[in-house]
Amino acid sequence: MRIVDTKGQLCPAPLIAAKKALKETAAGDSFILLTDNRTSFDNLSRFLKDNKADFKVSESGGVWTLTITKTTGDAVQTKAEEYCTSAISHFEKGNYVVALTSDKMGDGDDELGHLLISNFIKALKDLNKLPLHMVFYNKGVTLAVKDSPVIEHIKDLEKMGVEIHLCATCVNYYKLENNVAVGTLSNMYSIAEIMASAGNVIRP
Amino acid sequence: MKVDLLQMVEYGGCSAKISPKQLEEILKYLPLPKDPNILVDIDTHDDAGVYRVNDDLALVLTTDFFPPVCSDPYEFGQIAAANSISDVYAMGGDPVLALNIMMFPAAKLPMEVYADIIKGGFDKATEAGVRIIGGHTIDDFPPKYGLAVVGYIHPEKIITNAGARPGDSLILTKPIGTGVILAGHRLEMVSDDDLAEAKRLMKLLNKSGAEVMKKHNIRGATDITGFGLAGHALKMAKASRVSLKINMKDVPLIGNSYKLIDEGCIPGASFRNLDYAEKDIDFASDLDYNLKMIAFDAQTSGGLLFSVSPDKMNQILKELHSAGLRNSNVIGSVTDPKVKYIYLNN
Repeated sequence: MRIVDTKGQLCPAPLIAAKKALKETAAGDSFILLTDNRTSFDNLSRFLKDNKADFKVSESGGVWTLTITKTTGDAVQTKAEEYCTSAISHFEKGNYVVALTSDKMGDGDDELGHLLISNFIKALKDLNKLPLHMVFYNKGVTLAVKDSPVIEHIKDLEKMGVEIHLCATCVNYYKLENNVAVGTLSNMYSIAEIMASAGNVIRP
Repeated sequence: MKVDLLQMVEYGGCSAKISPKQLEEILKYLPLPKDPNILVDIDTHDDAGVYRVNDDLALVLTTDFFPPVCSDPYEFGQIAAANSISDVYAMGGDPVLALNIMMFPAAKLPMEVYADIIKGGFDKATEAGVRIIGGHTIDDFPPKYGLAVVGYIHPEKIITNAGARPGDSLILTKPIGTGVILAGHRLEMVSDDDLAEAKRLMKLLNKSGAEVMKKHNIRGATDITGFGLAGHALKMAKASRVSLKINMKDVPLIGNSYKLIDEGCIPGASFRNLDYAEKDIDFASDLDYNLKMIAFDAQTSGGLLFSVSPDKMNQILKELHSAGLRNSNVIGSVTDPKVKYIYLNN
């Protein structure tokens, strides 16, 4: 019979070994697990009971020998992959920074430019990898004020963990101090540092 | 010299707490002082004691210290301090002053390590607006560190375990899983990203979450630490004389915590917490075993759990997200008292 020796190991190592062996054992088959730690033994007993495995125990000289038989019944469990797709998202970020330097995207008609920048910021939320930071300077800071058409999207990005930096000088220059609705005011040194340490800087 | 503090301890952080069962056995023989100025004591299983000075001011007192949760001394200092101060935030108080509590093996470790730990504690305390005005050191192995903290609070604005009301929703402000991640890290099962996220969360002060609570006059809250989500929820349910329904699939988890538990990485502290709390908990018949066990995972410097009326729920969530607590989520609800205090569902 297979022997899994966890002597000298502390929790949770013996549990991990037990779980692995259970996974590799066919229903009806048995294996032996050894532990020399009282707490590990208690925790293993509880764990095996909850996982509906049959087991017998003998103890001698401070070593517990558990003879574990896998049954057909499994503990109630969803698959790890299934759980990970549930409602709680952990947003992944890429090594890039988005620099918003204007309230428009591209050169051409102003109205189109405004529409494009809105769509761009909205689209960022759907990317597989979010930007690490977004920096707003010059006319770009006007996107981050209360009545900006994209303010909700920028706030969403902030909630998703993207750091929003606004050029403080620009906010003051355009007299927007009382209208800024998102992000933190940063000095040019911070902005330069963020851009210098980015893998890529995207300027739409 | 590069020192790895994790090599010195079997259980770090709040996992090193004494079993809640044993603690309860001992504490029941300790008479509680009778004084009308004691506004909150251990009777409500609360996070900190509160003592009235006058009609406008009460003091919040709390202490916490533990062995290392990470390798780096400076980070350990930051985490221990954030964890110590958290109890004041959980009561709705403003932390003001603190004393260092240090156990340090002077013969075994270079004194720079000591300096790094208290520097981490000092910097975190400063971030919280707390002045450290003294402390006490004992020569002991392994090292342990934390703070005794004093905060101010208005006597009528105390947020306690006893303030959850039937009909309320429960909000949790930080994802859980620090115990699993730290145990898995020792066995080299954890990615750098997950470890970094766990450390970031442990260092994160509960200040921003507490500000949202205070703004909305929340009355019932606790912070999630060594007894795990289910253990602290139980203390809240008992103190409030209500039952709590918790939906584990709505509980945000750190990185791959679920997968780690699925591989059997269940820290010893989870079994201690389960042992203590299970008689008061109803486990749904289809409850996922891994989700059940993560409910008992001992958290170090965990988030706030608080009770809100449903009409304020969305606004509060929005504000928590805006405050950078982007994993904040509604994880359950408060009901009238039923047979069990806690109902754990998928």
